[in-house]
Amino acid sequence: MTVATASSSLKQVNKAISEIQCQLSSTQPKMVVYFASTIYNQRTLSAAMKKAFPESVVFGCTTAGEIVSGKMLKQSIVAMAFGKDIIEDVVVEVVPNIKENGDMGSAFAKFESYYNTAMQDADPGKYVGLVLFDGLSCAEERLMDKLGDYTDVTFIGGSAGDDLKFTTTYVFANGKAYNDAALLALIKPGCKFDIIKTQSFCSLGKKLVATKVDENTRTVFEFDGKPAAIAYAEAIGQDIKALPKYFMQHPLGLMVDGEPFVRSPQQVKDDSVVFYCNVKEGMELEVLQSKGIVQETINALKKKETEMGTLKALINFNCILRTLQLDSEGMADEYGQVFAKVPTVGFSTYGEAYIGHINQTATMLVFA
Amino acid sequence: MAGKIKQLIDQIVEKRSNGNPAIAKVTKTKLVLKGVNPDNFTSTSADDAQIISKVRQIASELGVVL
Repeated sequence: MTVATASSSLKQVNKAISEIQCQLSSTQPKMVVYFASTIYNQRTLSAAMKKAFPESVVFGCTTAGEIVSGKMLKQSIVAMAFGKDIIEDVVVEVVPNIKENGDMGSAFAKFESYYNTAMQDADPGKYVGLVLFDGLSCAEERLMDKLGDYTDVTFIGGSAGDDLKFTTTYVFANGKAYNDAALLALIKPGCKFDIIKTQSFCSLGKKLVATKVDENTRTVFEFDGKPAAIAYAEAIGQDIKALPKYFMQHPLGLMVDGEPFVRSPQQVKDDSVVFYCNVKEGMELEVLQSKGIVQETINALKKKETEMGTLKALINFNCILRTLQLDSEGMADEYGQVFAKVPTVGFSTYGEAYIGHINQTATMLVFA
Repeated sequence: MAGKIKQLIDQIVEKRSNGNPAIAKVTKTKLVLKGVNPDNFTSTSADDAQIISKVRQIASELGVVL
């Protein structure tokens, strides 16, 4: 078997990892990716996972819920082992101090040295990147922007969670646990690969232009020259006091070729609106309307299978806001079942990465 | 004067993508995320100095010499 998935809900870290190791014992993995609840001691966990798979490149992060083939879990560890036919080669680098600076030059130099290819010339048809962020760093937009400047290779991923405690999140690599850091994995797949981005929204056909913002705090003060919360409430036909109740249902979308890059509002603050990702001054955003997450995800998977054939493996970075919506609608089990027939690993994120930093989206890396 | 912004954007996309349509599409998305939507500019769009400066800055970030 070239791909295997595993999960454990045992609360003692060493027992949980033994269970994971046992479930993956039929593989000789080149790469092991894992996602874990913050109920585990992060340093112990990272060291033990590396020890369990000493011949593999092992990395992952903390979560706000875990996903494995057919199931959405909480307070567990999930893992996927990839054989060499899926992952021909992979190298992982950690970028420290991302809140302050997060210079990726050193990581990129190491990638270039490892693959003997300048990152600016690296073929996006031959390489793909995974990126995991400290999910409380607020550094995602800046780093994704820099990544996109450096290279045309697609980096996809998400922001680590901490079971909705919003205190500390970690990324794991080299047997260590890091916060205030990003993890970059540059993969040379041994088979076909592609990206799925699905967000289960349609446009209401109403636009808001951000006319006064503070990018650093992800705050929009004004839309169309009016206090942001008032303009937003008017656009969805609701009273300003009721606006937060409609955030999940009506986020805003930066449209690219008719597809939204979702900006999800977090809170109203003095008639301004604070978002989960930044909005630049002058950006034209469309008001969105939520659709069924499960059906839209089924459609996205089917479309990709039609294009690529049977999917051999899938890594799912699913927004925590989608997970909360699924939980509130009692649809989490159905969502898990969408991935029952595809070897899948993933987690509920504090933000998704694909070209930029986005919200209320699932970004997936698939192999076929 | 008009059309300068579209001309600069087209140059960025062409030089960065080297004729690869997939990279051209991603480059346009990067421009949108950086705050300049290529679809908003045509050959008749006014040459707004502030936007031209922003587009030149984006070209520099993307390593494109205009």
